[in-house]
Formats: sequence, structure tokens, C-alpha cells
Amino acid sequence: MALSTSTRLGACRLGSRLTPPCWGVVSTRGAAQSYRRPGQPQDNTPPWKKIRFSFPKGVEGVKKHFGLLKQEMVERWVGPEGRSLREHMLEQTKLLWEFRGPESLEQWVVSSDQEIGGKSEAYLKLGRNNQTCLLYGTLYTAPPRDGETRYSGYCTLRSRQPLNAFDRKKHHDWSSFNTLHLRIRGDGRPWMINIATETYFSHQRDDMYNYFLFTRGGPFWQDVKIPFSKFFLSSRGRIQDNQHPLWLDKINTIGFTLGDKTDGPFQLEIDFIAVCNDRAHAEEFAYEKYKRNPEV
Amino acid sequence: MAQGKTSLYRGMHVYTLARLYHASTMSCTRCLPRLLLACARATALSAAPQGAFLRRQARLTQGLRNVHASSRRTENKPTAAAHQGGQGDGKSEDGPGQSLVTHEHLFERAARDSRTKATFNRVLDVFVKRDIRRRGHVEFIYAALKKMPEFGVERDLSVYNRLLDIFPKEVFVPRNFIQRMFNHYPRQQECAIQILEEMENHGIMPNIETKVLLVQIFGEKSHPMRKYQRLLYWFPKFKHVNPYPVPHELPQDPLDLARLSLKRIANSLDAKVTVYQMPSTDISEMGEQVSEPFVVGIQSPEQRLLLAEHNPSRPVFVEGPFPLWLRKTCVYYYILRADPVPPEEKVEKPIDLERSFFYPLHLDLDLERDLGDDDSFDVDEVEEGTVFAMCMTGLGDQATLAKWITGLQETNPILGRIPTVFRLESGPREIQSTSEPEPTAEEEHLQSQEMKQ
Repeated sequence: MALSTSTRLGACRLGSRLTPPCWGVVSTRGAAQSYRRPGQPQDNTPPWKKIRFSFPKGVEGVKKHFGLLKQEMVERWVGPEGRSLREHMLEQTKLLWEFRGPESLEQWVVSSDQEIGGKSEAYLKLGRNNQTCLLYGTLYTAPPRDGETRYSGYCTLRSRQPLNAFDRKKHHDWSSFNTLHLRIRGDGRPWMINIATETYFSHQRDDMYNYFLFTRGGPFWQDVKIPFSKFFLSSRGRIQDNQHPLWLDKINTIGFTLGDKTDGPFQLEIDFIAVCNDRAHAEEFAYEKYKRNPEV
Repeated sequence: MAQGKTSLYRGMHVYTLARLYHASTMSCTRCLPRLLLACARATALSAAPQGAFLRRQARLTQGLRNVHASSRRTENKPTAAAHQGGQGDGKSEDGPGQSLVTHEHLFERAARDSRTKATFNRVLDVFVKRDIRRRGHVEFIYAALKKMPEFGVERDLSVYNRLLDIFPKEVFVPRNFIQRMFNHYPRQQECAIQILEEMENHGIMPNIETKVLLVQIFGEKSHPMRKYQRLLYWFPKFKHVNPYPVPHELPQDPLDLARLSLKRIANSLDAKVTVYQMPSTDISEMGEQVSEPFVVGIQSPEQRLLLAEHNPSRPVFVEGPFPLWLRKTCVYYYILRADPVPPEEKVEKPIDLERSFFYPLHLDLDLERDLGDDDSFDVDEVEEGTVFAMCMTGLGDQATLAKWITGLQETNPILGRIPTVFRLESGPREIQSTSEPEPTAEEEHLQSQEMKQ
């Protein structure tokens, strides 16, 4: 609550220098830093030195979390997630994110390979008339010269993990839907959609379910429907041999990654992200799961 | 994406698959169990396309015996050196293991005259013939992988197979269960995995030749073999996954490229591509070269209808350039668009019942529809101006684009009455939809084209 790490503050400052002075721009840096670059000394500052106590922040936190707690308890009387049971059971489409104002950008984190020493830049801002979200920047594939990193060049937009009161994790539950629906406009570059789910063991922390998002380019919008059965499991950027269908009841985040090994500017405009129930789609999983591939 | 060495063994790189809608086909998918060398000779007679390769395998087999035999006999080495001297490449002065010349230097020296596949193959030949034990082959392969894009062979399957061919055969195959359990010859396996990963990155599907080589070099259950199996499993799955495929070889002619990209972004089968001006180079009276850039536009009948209904008192805008990526190339296009119609001017058009699929003429059914039948999204439409036409030119200045507008007037006479504003940027525009209220910085010319027809 009252803690704020120095990295986050530094990132904000850096970001404001990189971006044009425009409100509503989220900077490239700012994602959680768990990756230590090769050659970087270990951060040995003891945890108590990172504590920054601030009384007003604490009061703010108490207000926020008790407000959330109250909301959580009241919502339960209406129905699941604060909506009526009829709506919860019968709805065929659900709008997850639409970008209609600066506060809608706060649920997203932009990051790029600057974290690993690359040079790509990515920024997020509202599009024309504050109606869409525009992810733009430049991709550079030159790997950092640290002697170990072999590839570089990615930019990512990732939604924040939704949190309940007292920072307990909240999950998206999409189990009554089977298709992801996006309305996007790109510039012809291929993207990748990453869905991270809640896992049980800590070694599954980096597991993600991926699928491709191809953009056509041009001035027209593009409606993309991707069944969840097409998503394949990967961990740390590698497809796994043991595939498993995506379980939709505990979704943490959704993200978009660009990394097509092409230097140059890119842009992706997102109108909304939704899930829907495609009744014509009966496939459970698009890949073999009855045996390991390749079979041992 | 940084990855440690351990993750090398884990699987395929996820992102590279996104770029793979490659056209390479596999010659033979049938599973080949351990291909014994005798068997290879037998099939050489039957399988015609693989004949040449298998012949080489047979040749290698003989070489292999030499390798095994040569552990005792040292006089093999001078013969190899003599052979290499016979190549006449001038590389005989640095004998194997005697010089500090790196393997990259070998390539750089070869690249002096020409950077082609033939030169690259010759360097590989020189290395293979230099030392019968192939000393330092791992370093050499890494150097060769690094140099492949320079020689333009990074998308050539046969070159990758030749690289794998450099590994000595049967030496790294585990012989007992303990060797099989542990990572047998890890450096060599990592190197082979790196070759396969380069193939993966460039979207090259390995073929049966690759498999035979891997079986011969590392055995059937080695890490490179696993990597090969993964490639073979995942590549065909995502081969045709792109709904908007781009050919690997883009057309060389900029006019054809413009046609291709305009058709791609138009998203309409009945949109018509019109060439308003062919590229040409003339010599003017002053003796200067005057080159006329090409102007290609696209417009669909629907867009023409919409333009005809446009209110002539409101201007239309020529905007651009906007980027469009076709794999690694970026092209730029311009659009003709209007501002969004203000809400007070909007007219609700009655739906033409005879033209609509979704509104049948009469439907007197009393069906109850509730939430479970509602498949629409609860989202507001994005207010945007209509796009009337798109074009690509060789030169994006105002004079060239005015030619496009003039050409458009032949099919859209209303354009003569609508003022046209050019909102152009000198460089490629980074953001597609920011024609926000700061057009003062841009060069903006109000050119009311009151051309009388």
C-alpha cells in the first residue's frame, strides 16, 4: 500500500522524456522487472531500505481497499460479478475492454525489449476522438551487446491483472464463451495474442497460450474472431510438447506482441476486445493432446 | 527475447511461427526408421530425386571409414592437404590448427570476389577437405551460420543440409544407455540445434535429407532429432494460417507491387485498380530528365456511390502517406476521405429490402427473442470519415496526387465541385489516425479544384 519501489518512479520519469508531451500516454517502461540483464550487478539492497513510508498514501490505500471490499460484498447480493443471474447465464457476448477514454488505458502495460537492452520503442495512446487505443512505435531487432542475448526486437501490450480488495487476485471468467472477438486496424504486420492463465505451480509461471493475429493493413477496420480452441501452450517463448487446451475460468491477462524481425515503425489500433459464444464452433482443441509430440 | 541455453531444448520459438506461411514443400513425409547406410545405397537406385544426395551419402560412407581408420594412420593428412592445395584457392598457407585465422576470415576472403551460393559452397568444400577429422567444425558451422545472410543463402534448404553434412558421422551417436541418458556431446548437439533454429527462423521446412543426416550424426533420440520432429509437427499446422497471405517474392516492378498492396488493403472483390499514370522518363527541351512517377488508385463501386452522395459543401481530404507492411518491405499509400458526418446532418436511410440479405421482405413470425439470442456487442461505433479511394504513387508530392484526383473525376464527376484539401506529410506518417486539430504544423493547402468539365 504505502510502498512504492524506486524503479517504477524512475520508469515514469524516463517515459515522460521519451514520449511527446501528451496526456494519456503510457510509457514503454514500467513493467515489473524480474529479469536481470547479463552483466548487471545484483541488487543487494536489503528490503527494509526500499520501504518508503508515506502517511497520505496509506490513508488512500485504506480508502481504496475498503471501498473495494464493500463493493465485493454488495455485489454478491445482486449476482455473480455484480450482474443478475439471468444476464450471467444467458449472455452470448461480453465486452471486455473498449477504449473510450484516458482511464481505459490505465488497465494496460506497454513494454518493449528495452528491458533486455534492446532499442525498440512502443507507446500507447488514445486514437482519434478518444475512441480507440493506438499502440505505435518502432521495432529494432539489433540484439543488445551483452554477449549472451541472441535475439531482440519485440513490443508488447499487456492488460493488468485485475485485483480485488487487499490486492487479492481476481480472474476473468470466460468459461461460457468460446471465441475471442477483436476489432482492430493494423499495418500489415503479424501480431501474436498471448493469454496468461492462473496456474498452480510456480514453474508454470511463464506459461502462456498463444495464437496469431494477422492484420491486413489499410484504412478499414478488421473484425477478428479467434476460437479459444486454437490457442497453443508455450512457455518462455517456446511451444511445448505437451499441449493442453486453454482453461477459461481463470484468465489473468491478455496481451499482444509484435516481433516479426523487421525493423521499422508499426502501429496497431484496437477498438474493442470482447468474447462471444460461437455456437457453430464445436472444436475442443485444435492440436493433438493424447500423446506427446514428438512421441518419445 | 533472451533465452538461456537450456530453453533451447524445450521447443520451437513461438513467434517465428507467425511469420511462416512459407511455400516450401516436403518431398517425403513417411517416417524413416534408422536409415542404415546399406539401405541408403539401395534406395539410391529407386528414388530418383534423392539419388544425388544418397550418392553423396555413399561417398561419405567411404570417407567415414577413412575417418575411423585414420585414427591410427597419420599419413592421411598430407593427402588431404594435397587435395586442398589442388583446389587452388590459395588457402593452403594456413594449415589446420596451425594458424590463428578464424573461420570467419575464410568466408570474408571468399566474399571478396563474389557472394553467391557457389562461393559459400566452395568454402564449405574447402573446410571439409582440409582436415579429415573436421577439427573445429563446431566453430566453423557457427561462423558459417553467421555469414549466411551475407551470401544470400539463408533461405536455401540445401545449404543447411550441407552445413549439417560437415558433422562427422557416427561419432556422436550414443552407444550405451548411460551416454543416451546424459547429454552426449553437448556442444555438437547445441550447434546442430542452432542450425535447425536458423531454419526455423527463416521458415524453411527440413526434408528427409535433414533427417537422414541427423540420424547418422546424432542418433535417433538426440536433441537435434527432437527439434527436427517439432519443426515437422508445427510447421504444417501453421502453414496456411494467414488469411491475408503475402508472397515470399514480392513483384519487382513497383507498379505490380502497388497493385498487389492496393488489392490487399481494399478488402473488396469488386474494387477496381486503375493506373492513372504509367511511369515514364522523358528528356525535356532543356535537356533535363523529367521522370513521371506512377499513380495507381483503387475504388470500389460502393465507394463511388458514397462519394456521389457526399455533401459538396464539405471538403474531402487527401491524407497520407500511411505505411503498409508486406513482410519486410514497407509501402506507402494515400487515401481520399471525408470528415465524419456531424450528427445533425445524418440521414437515416431506409434499408432497401430487395438488396439486403439480412432484412427479408416479410417475416411475420412471433418468436420471442431474449438475451440468449442477442449476438451483438454492446459497443459504440467509432465515428470516422468515409474513405472514398486509395492510391499509391512513386512520388508523394501534391502535384502527383492532384493527377490522381483529376483522374478520379472521370468516374466521379462530383469531385469537381467538392473542395479538396491536401494534408500531406513529408515523411511517412507514424500514426494512422491523427489528423487531430494540429494540421497547422503540416503543410496544408486548400486547393479548391473548381475544374469545369
